[in-house]
Amino acid sequence: MPSTVVHAGFALLLAAALLRDHYDRRALAALLVVVVVPEVDSFLGPIMPGAHRTVGHNLVFPAVGALLLYYDTRIRDGSLVRDRLSERWVAIAWVAVFVHVFAHIALDWTHLDGVNLLWPLRDEFLALDGEILLSTADGFVQTFVDVRIDPETGARSVDAGTTGSTETVHVNNPIQPRDPADITEEPVDRRFPVANGGWRLYLIGLGIFALAARRIQGAGPESE
Amino acid sequence: MAPTLVAAAVGALLAAALLGAAFDRRSVATVVAAAVAPDLDAVASLVVPGATNALFHALWLPLLALSALYWDTAVGSDSRIRARFGWRGVRVAWVALAAVLVAGIGPDLFGSAGANLLYPLHDAYYRIDGRLVFSTQEGIVQTFVALGAEGPGILPLASPGTTESHAISTFVNPDGRPGLALGADRELSLVRNAWQLVVVAAAVATLGVRFGRRGVTE
Repeated sequence: MPSTVVHAGFALLLAAALLRDHYDRRALAALLVVVVVPEVDSFLGPIMPGAHRTVGHNLVFPAVGALLLYYDTRIRDGSLVRDRLSERWVAIAWVAVFVHVFAHIALDWTHLDGVNLLWPLRDEFLALDGEILLSTADGFVQTFVDVRIDPETGARSVDAGTTGSTETVHVNNPIQPRDPADITEEPVDRRFPVANGGWRLYLIGLGIFALAARRIQGAGPESE
Repeated sequence: MAPTLVAAAVGALLAAALLGAAFDRRSVATVVAAAVAPDLDAVASLVVPGATNALFHALWLPLLALSALYWDTAVGSDSRIRARFGWRGVRVAWVALAAVLVAGIGPDLFGSAGANLLYPLHDAYYRIDGRLVFSTQEGIVQTFVALGAEGPGILPLASPGTTESHAISTFVNPDGRPGLALGADRELSLVRNAWQLVVVAAAVATLGVRFGRRGVTE
């Protein structure tokens, strides 16, 4: 995984951008919990093959969560969330869904073997990798999704970066530092990355910068 | 250099995060413009040798602006910016300056091309790339800061070269050297890899949410 610190950094920037009046220490703490909790699927690895990047890292659970939240707060007559908590926490819950999808799942999607995006509906790891450019020679070029048309049959095949299923994919993590299928004599090396690569350090820096800047700056026009 | 679209996206996220009560279409446009402004040194590189990622990616101009802004708004009682543009103007100016440094120069410094931070006083591109890992076998592994690194740099960072040895290709200037190359193939990079696509998507979604909600509340 890009380390949890990287997720947290990008999450802090997004939180500062979206929370508006609800921005305070308790809201940030709640969002950080949302960032950390999906990694718990690492601990399921020893009992369920391929659990990491599957159980906590899919778009199905956040989509179901968003639908339930929408139903509860907009469609039902009385809202459980609003009664139990408050309007403020409804807003924070929406930000939590946003942060979970963009700061956690999307970033893991770009890394190593990707995430099991549509689990449990479909068991297929997808990795996002490619670039987009405009070229005077080739026009618009994108390499994220590979669409091929078989010249003989005319059949279209779409490859969005499939890397395998829970049967074949194991994403290394500190709990299971290597694929259980590999049998070696080497000593176990558990690696806890903070930032592998400049851009991950950059995302951490963005989060810290947003946090620090919000602290330094005044509240608003009324404060003067 | 890192795609200008990425600088704009990070600028937009900073604008949403830091503008506070000054957040509206115009102030966001100002901050995004500030974020992409450093990339204009690619145009200057058509005349000035090696200006890409150097001329406006050096720290001197932002530092000058920082001291001027600090002098005007924090030292002394009467601020010219506040007198003319009010609280909003001061806030937008600070966030725009942050966007130049963090969104304009940052992605190049942490990316492959590097930023010539001390140009023109000292000519060397710098790049922050490496890893910070805790390993049960090797302990703390840290390769971002390179003390006594080889190369032309005087900062303790890896350096890919100087304006003479390290030419950066851009859409405006495909070979990175002075002179118009009218016949050359040009490539305008929008996102160079997947994490940049995620940042751009997050920025678009964030602006959508923020402006969408404004429409609802007003």
